[in-house]
Amino acid sequence: MLSRCRSALSTSSRRSLGARGLATPVYTDPAVHNIPHEAVDPPARPKRGAKPTINTGIVLNRAPFLTRDQTTFERAFQAYQGRLRRALHNPVAYDFYFKEGSILETRFRVEEMKREQAAFGPSFGKLDVLDVEKFEAQKLAAAQLAEQEGELEEMMPRVHEADTNKDYKSLDRAGMRNLYLLVKEKDTWRFPQGGLEDKELLHQSAQRNLYAECDQYMDSWIVSRTPMGVHTSSASAPGARPIATFFYKAHIMAGQVRPSNKVSDFMWLAKEEIEPHVDAQYWNGIKDMLSDY
Amino acid sequence: MASAAAAKKVLKLAPVRKAPSVTEFGSVPIGHKPFAREKNSRLPIIPTRLKLHEFVPSRYENHYYDTVRDDVMYMNYIHERGPRPPPREIRLKWDPNDPYSKYRKNPSVGGDAQVLRRPPPPDTPENVTRLEKIQIHTMHKQAIGNKQELVGVIMALRALSGETERGGGHHAVEGVQVVRGKRSVGGWIRPNVPCGAKVEMKGQPMWDFMGSLVDFVLPRLREFEGVGLPYAGANPHKQSNISGVVSFGLPREAMQFFPQIEVNVDSYPKQYGMHIHFVTNAEGVGAQDRARALLSGFQIPFTRKQRS
Repeated sequence: MLSRCRSALSTSSRRSLGARGLATPVYTDPAVHNIPHEAVDPPARPKRGAKPTINTGIVLNRAPFLTRDQTTFERAFQAYQGRLRRALHNPVAYDFYFKEGSILETRFRVEEMKREQAAFGPSFGKLDVLDVEKFEAQKLAAAQLAEQEGELEEMMPRVHEADTNKDYKSLDRAGMRNLYLLVKEKDTWRFPQGGLEDKELLHQSAQRNLYAECDQYMDSWIVSRTPMGVHTSSASAPGARPIATFFYKAHIMAGQVRPSNKVSDFMWLAKEEIEPHVDAQYWNGIKDMLSDY
Repeated sequence: MASAAAAKKVLKLAPVRKAPSVTEFGSVPIGHKPFAREKNSRLPIIPTRLKLHEFVPSRYENHYYDTVRDDVMYMNYIHERGPRPPPREIRLKWDPNDPYSKYRKNPSVGGDAQVLRRPPPPDTPENVTRLEKIQIHTMHKQAIGNKQELVGVIMALRALSGETERGGGHHAVEGVQVVRGKRSVGGWIRPNVPCGAKVEMKGQPMWDFMGSLVDFVLPRLREFEGVGLPYAGANPHKQSNISGVVSFGLPREAMQFFPQIEVNVDSYPKQYGMHIHFVTNAEGVGAQDRARALLSGFQIPFTRKQRS
């Protein structure tokens, strides 16, 4: 089965590589040239209305720094896979990796026994020890070694103080989530944004506007020159032009935001926490750019 | 009397049952029929086709799906309006339905000059650059004269990758493989002589290897400035540029920095250098740059080579 799959794969890859001169067969299959069946003409552009004013916005992101919590199903699945792997793995070459009777070997065997018993129950992983006294002494030495290496040290908690205090300005909150910066201008919450200056490129404008609203006391990086999305808000007054905001993704690596005099407040929020703070039209424009995790 | 008895019955609580743990097991499930055994080794033949999956959450895999994938998509995205035009047909095609072609062969004609200039496929959510596998290989010169020398190499690669041949049942894990010479080169190598070992990692072992490389090895290397980028203005139309593979080598001093090796570094007769290939799904012109962008998301540094 596998070999058949592989041969099918190799022929298909050869085919995709193969405009082979005269020898090229005629393909009727449009997928070969990535041509969709229907339209060959590009879609018609929509009719232009009033020309919008262009703004750039920055979706400043704090990436997650903790692995996600597993669901019960995920834990059960992974435990089952670990058990299968343990049952089917090839034997460890003890005699190569460990000097016979060394502390390291004892440590490995004791740990392995514990893992076997966790996977298959207490009747498994029994050690056959010839010299019990020596083995016990080595076990103690191995435990001491483990302690020296800091194995029993308590790990940092996964919930930070900022989580319990509901400190929305802290970058340490919600370590498992993607957080986004929201700033407050007068009474509205929004992403940092600003207008376009003369002869300025969009991504340069994004950088300038980020600094203008959040100051330079942070280490940030705008990911790309292509925007991640655009949101067009309807004209506020009759006769006014609508505003198109092009959003750029950026990361914060260090430092913190210091709101300038243009904005009065800021918060670091996960996707679903943003919704109650912004108006419905803005939310509809931005929600698909944000990560659910 | 009867009502009092009923009340007593109601009051008697069911014994509190502890919810069974999903990660710890009391015993081994016993099959109905013993497995058939292999003739020579007497090992049981498992009657189902198994493919093993992740058994612990992987930090670097999470990082890819949470952060790097989005970034790489925004960085590499090329906007195209509508479908691409069909390729220009330069030469005659061999049509099996043409009566002229009947009883005539389809002769193969030379190479494809355009293959190095083929644009990448249109960007879709499915083909965002991702890491498919990592391969490491080591050539050990002394093994040409003495096969025993390879044992250390094989064991080191086993420890590094955690892969053994068909480790975990029927699935296609090839484990550590011995590399043999292909042709005769005077004073260096002869055909079919074992001279090194290689191993391929996918899925969890791949992410684990990436983790130990980036967290423990690269920061501790002396005088390591980063993986070399080609010279500015180098010819971009090269085979290596369209295949989406990034390769670099580690010196033999780097081996002891892997935590898998560090724990019992004395067990290995020697230290071995290695070549590492990161294989991604990127293809077409600029594929290697897209692969590099992906890897730099995992903190693998790149530096431009200087012309001296």
